[in-house]
Amino acid sequence: MDAETKRHLMIVFFGMIAALIPRYFPMLFFTTRKVPAWFNEWMNYMPVALFTSLIAKDLFVDHSYHVTLGNYNMYLAALIVVIVAYYTRSMFLSVIVGLLSVWGFALLLAAM
Amino acid sequence: MNEHTNEPHWLKAFKATLPLMISYLPIGIAAGILLKTGGFAVWMIVLVSLFVFSGGAQFLIASAIITGTPVFTITLLLFFLELRYALLGTSLSKYLRNETKPFIFRFAFSMNDENYAVNYLKFSTDKNWTAKDALLVEYFSLLSWTVGNIIGGFLGTKITIDLPIVHFALTAMFLYMVTMQLKRRILFVPVIISVVVSVLSVVLLKSTLGLIVGTLVAATAGYFLERYLKANYRDSAMLKRIKNPRAREMEQISEAEN
Repeated sequence: MDAETKRHLMIVFFGMIAALIPRYFPMLFFTTRKVPAWFNEWMNYMPVALFTSLIAKDLFVDHSYHVTLGNYNMYLAALIVVIVAYYTRSMFLSVIVGLLSVWGFALLLAAM
Repeated sequence: MNEHTNEPHWLKAFKATLPLMISYLPIGIAAGILLKTGGFAVWMIVLVSLFVFSGGAQFLIASAIITGTPVFTITLLLFFLELRYALLGTSLSKYLRNETKPFIFRFAFSMNDENYAVNYLKFSTDKNWTAKDALLVEYFSLLSWTVGNIIGGFLGTKITIDLPIVHFALTAMFLYMVTMQLKRRILFVPVIISVVVSVLSVVLLKSTLGLIVGTLVAATAGYFLERYLKANYRDSAMLKRIKNPRAREMEQISEAEN
């Protein structure tokens, strides 16, 4: 095995460990212990806060970690996705319409 | 949703995962192309897809091997990138209480943002949804992700992909998830707080650790606001539900099922 393959295997192995620790131990901890009611109420807010957090990063932070307000095609597409999601309740339609509109608006804005 | 009770588990899980599987293909292809460009062999791409199974982590690995980052630094970066999974596992734990330790291990091993989103929605809306269905959702998404990565690995540098546009498939999925979760007016408060605090903390920390800060601050604010309103203003407009245009239709379906 050459040095490069070894290095890549090490990255995969340590990457697996690094991803497994935060995935496994908190879940193990909270499934095997009795948790108070307030904790579950607090956890009810977690998904909406987390998903919004991921969206906000995609829309307003660029790859060099600067705030950006220039992804106009994404903002327009995001608005359309929310409308489609609200009225159709379909994840499939939301994703397809989202992809088509982010691409369409990018072309449109580039042509303007 | 027209679910028949005699539907086999794998089909039920497959239907729930299908939109995610379709979104994962192009993004998986993009990840495979980047890893191949960084020098990963196709079999190594398969390993990393199966054992790390995280879009963000694989994009980070690809850029780190191109720039020759030391393995130790990569591991540390990945650990901080993946720390948010602690929140996912914690919030799903109430649905997995009766499962064995090996099951929890398998479940945690293949969990990520997207299949968590699918499963959380199913657990909170479908009372027949089981932990085994949820694990199947993870495996279907893992399959699609790995196939995408393999295709990308073989394509290598032959085609270029507009990554921000392809990545929007996931953004759209999370937008859908938030729209589905917004059942009460009060939930707009954590949404707004999460946008502001997450963006600021991701930029200030120059790391996705900011996502954890934003999520925790927003969820905590929502929780305390609800407690405060319930204690002091029980009739507050903030505590009202949001109209769902399909609610009556869905109620009729669930009545028909019972």
